[in-house]
Order: sequence, then C-alpha cells, then structure tokens
Amino acid sequence: MNSLIELGLQVPVRLDSTLCSRFRSTKSECAACAVVCPAPGAVRLGDGAGNNGAEINAACVACGACVSACPNGAIRLLEDDQRVAERIAQKVHSGETFRFACNRAKGRAEMVLPCLSRLTEALVLEPIRRGAQQVELRAPDCSGCGLRKTAQQWERTLVFSQALCESAGLGAARISSVQVQVGNAEEIRLPARGPSSRRRLFGSIAERWKASGDAPLETEAGEEAEPEPFREIVKRHSENSKRTDLLRVLDALPGLKVTPKEVVTVGLPLAQLEVDSRCVGCNVCETLCPTGALTHREEGGNYALDFDAAHCTGCRVCELACYHQALHLRETVDLSLLFQRSRVTLISARLANCQACGERILGTASTFCPTCQVKASGDRRDSVARLFFSGGN
Amino acid sequence: MAEYSPIIPREAIERSFAKLGPKQYTLWVDIEHCIGCNACSIACKAENNTPVGVDYNRVIEIEEGDFRDASKTPNVGVTFVPMPCMHCGQPACQAACPVGAITKRKEDGIVLINKDKCIGCRYCAWACPYGAPQFNAEAKIMEKCTLCVHRTDKGLVPACVTTCPAKVRFFGELNELTMVMREKRAKGVSISVGGADTKPSVQYTSK
Repeated sequence: MNSLIELGLQVPVRLDSTLCSRFRSTKSECAACAVVCPAPGAVRLGDGAGNNGAEINAACVACGACVSACPNGAIRLLEDDQRVAERIAQKVHSGETFRFACNRAKGRAEMVLPCLSRLTEALVLEPIRRGAQQVELRAPDCSGCGLRKTAQQWERTLVFSQALCESAGLGAARISSVQVQVGNAEEIRLPARGPSSRRRLFGSIAERWKASGDAPLETEAGEEAEPEPFREIVKRHSENSKRTDLLRVLDALPGLKVTPKEVVTVGLPLAQLEVDSRCVGCNVCETLCPTGALTHREEGGNYALDFDAAHCTGCRVCELACYHQALHLRETVDLSLLFQRSRVTLISARLANCQACGERILGTASTFCPTCQVKASGDRRDSVARLFFSGGN
Repeated sequence: MAEYSPIIPREAIERSFAKLGPKQYTLWVDIEHCIGCNACSIACKAENNTPVGVDYNRVIEIEEGDFRDASKTPNVGVTFVPMPCMHCGQPACQAACPVGAITKRKEDGIVLINKDKCIGCRYCAWACPYGAPQFNAEAKIMEKCTLCVHRTDKGLVPACVTTCPAKVRFFGELNELTMVMREKRAKGVSISVGGADTKPSVQYTSK
C-alpha cells in the first residue's frame, strides 16, 4: 500500500530545511546525510554560498539512513518514526526478544526493514520500552550489499543505543547485533483482523495519504506566494521530532535507574556547551541553533544565555558561528543529561554600554563593542585612512 | 597606527571561496586632488536613500604637520580620504558572515550583502578593517557600498563618481584603472591592515 502512494511522489523523504544545520549556517560542514547515503547523487549539499542546505532528489532509494544520521531530525521518511514505533508496539511480546532484521538476513524476525540503518535510537529502544527483554539487530555481512555505505550508520545507532541503555541502568547487553547468513528474511506477521473490504482498503489509503503530510498539489500552490526571507526563517525553531521521540521513549523505559555515564562527544548527537568571557551577547548562537536549545533572557540590564542540553544535537553550528569563539563543546558528555531536562545558564552578566558608540554589549571582555575595538579612535575608517601616512602598515 | 587584530583567522579569509573572476570593477580615488567637499557622500546618501548614521561612503580628514614648533617653518596640511567599501579580493566580511549572506560577484567582483539572508548580527562590521558594513537600525540588517550596482548594471557609473566636482573619483575595471594611473604617473598608495591582507581593490593615489 505504501508503494502505491509513493508512486505519485517523486522524493520518498521530506526535508525540513529549517532544521538542517548547513542551511542555517554556511559555516557548518555537516555532511551526515551525504556520508551515509548509498544512492549516488541523491543528496546534494550546498556550495557554501547562497543556499548551503542539503537537498534530496528523486534518486533517493528510501533506505532511511539519512533519517537516522541527521542529528537534527531534519529528514523524515513518509512512513515516519511514529508509525514504525506503532508497528513495533503491536509486535512486542513482553519479556521476549525482539528481532530487527534487514531484508538480506536469513531467518525469522519480528520486523524486517529494507536496511537496518532505518533504525533510530528511539526505534531501537522502543521494544524495551514496551516490555521486551532483548533487542537483536540481525544483519548479514554488509560488504556484499548495495546499501553497504549505510552500515556505519546502523552500527553507530547500535553503539549509541547501548550506551543510552547502560545509562538508563538497564545494561548495554539488552541490545545486541547478530551476524547471520545471507538469505531471505521472513517477517512474523500479525494475525489478520477479519476479511478485508474494499471500503477498508480505500480508507487505509486515505489515512496514509493524510499521514504523509501535505498533498503535493498544495505545496505547488504555496510556491506562488512570495518566498519568506531567510532571516525570518531562521528565527523559527522547528521541533526536532527525532529527539522528542527519543526523550519520550527514554522517559517511559521500564526499570529506569539513571546512572551518569561520561562519553566522548565526537560523533554523538549530544553535547554540553561552555561559554567563556569573550561572549558579547550577540545572540547569533541562539538564532542559528537548529533545534532551539539555546535561549537568552534579558532582565533588568542582565543578560543570561540558557542551554537545554536534552535538545542539543551537537551539530556545532553555535561553536562554528561564534565570532569570538566564546562557545565550546566539552570533550565529554554525560548521557544522563537526556534523562534530566535541566536548563543550564551558560553565562550571566551585566550589559554595559560601549564607551565609543553606546551600543549595549556584554562588557566582560572589553569596554568597547567589537565594532569600536580599534585602538586609535572610535571610527575604524579613520584609523585605516591614517595608515596612508604612516607608510602602509 | 591602528592596532587592528582581526579575530577571523587568516586561513578562513584565504579560503573564503572567493575565486577571483577575470574582472574586478572598482574605484580609483586621487586623494592628492580631493578637496574634501563631501559631495560623494551626499550623492551616495541621495542615491541609496540611506538613513541617518548609515554612510556607505565617508570622507576622513587627516591633518598632518606641526606649527607649534617655533624653530621650523609651519607646514600643516589636510588630506581627505574618501572611504567606500574596498570590494576586497578576499573579503573579511564574507569570511565572517555566519549565514553566507555576503557574496562576491564573479562577473564584476562586487561584494554584495543579500538583504534577505542577512540576520543583522554585525559580524561583517566587526571583521571589516575598513569599517565598510553599516548597521541599518530600521531594517535591522547590514548595508554597505554596492558600487551603485543598480546603476553599473545599466552601464552607468556610480553616483559618487558622476557627482565628484574635483573629478578625482574614477570607476572602471581594475587593470584598466591601473593602466590609466600609470599613464598619469600617479603614485599608488596601498594599505594592508596588519595580520589580514584582504586585498582591497579600491585604488588610491597621492603625491
């Protein structure tokens, strides 16, 4: 049924550019989707000028690797994670092993996917949340598969899920991968629910059509309107549905006993930030953060920058964009952050007026605003013009 | 001497994707003969309709010499340096912009700010050693000299050049301008601001 509907659409995934870190900042060199994409030419990254965001075209094979790889949840398959989670929930038997298998994995499995890279951490943990004792990822040797480029992604998901499971006090051994022989996977089907009627068939088509988002005709009509300028788009912070799903699953894990677990930040969709005294309170990090994990408050001449670690995806846009390099990712991150929804105040200081132009700045590093930080005088042009008479430099 | 140390690392400026095109349109300002009338600044304000405090072009007055020393003959002089955007070969503003709103046009080398993309963070003003980008407080975006791109696209010259009563401003392609400068035996002055050579294209000549 799924394929019937997808026939009419050209691209089987939807990309929400406002969540793409490359789209938000040209300084971002994120290529998470392009690195794992097995279809040559399906993901096109911007060139650094103009629109820098990722674009996915009709060459896409709908394996779902980019959905799993994008830390910001910018990419959604038409059958979104919510629906897959519902299917998982129907098939879980409490206290037993839940098996995910790829198409090429020989043997029976509760859920067979075109490729295991479709799995996100939320989906891997979903069976445990529903009471399964073990989660098993069954895959043959990926090197013989046409989608082998995606192998790194499901392995990464597996490692991160195991770490999360350990941090939740359930033990990493609850999730494992099993290498099996190449063959045909057989999905354990749910017992049929009565005879199917034509009315039900069309009903389910209509339902799926609705669930797949807006109809293509509607989007075409929307294109005629004046395109919204970029600076208005970046002010919006869309919800990272991938992270919301993960947080929901983590909260509902049975037998949850949070234990701190420090891991290396590199390669994880998670980070802890630090801000030093070079911050001038320009709010660029807040504006460009794809997921809205940073927010600022101004109360009575005091400036404070708040950080929501549970929603940070470690995309490093803030770190790369910061002019004064005041913002840094810590080298290690505590996984238990995802279980506590604490907001940390990264910096809190009084706003001061620049001595030359009166601009409001965070006066922790200098009494001049960055525009006026030229020693000779308040005007940068003036000081440069004087260079003519002091012999070049 | 200005002690300007750009925070933008040198490598960032150098790889600021500004593949230099074959042509670089720019200005030549003969500061030896500039009379400091500020007509260029006024023409610029009228042409681009800029609000108060936003100056694409500003004429800087520099006083030299000394008259207080009784033992010497007083030799004081004033020089005027018009400072528009330098339309650099490797623009520091482009390297600083976090959203890629600043581009250097391939066909004529004009550095432009995309008003739809600009988020008004002022990073370009902080990075530019020449003070070219100006913050427009009304629109909350950055603006700067465009070499009157709306005029030059039509084959006209920038408003400041047509207006200049002393005829010290010239508009043209960089190589052609330098040829004219050589013919006139004008001595070029080049400045590079310590640490970051952004390759400014605007030419100045003096005594």
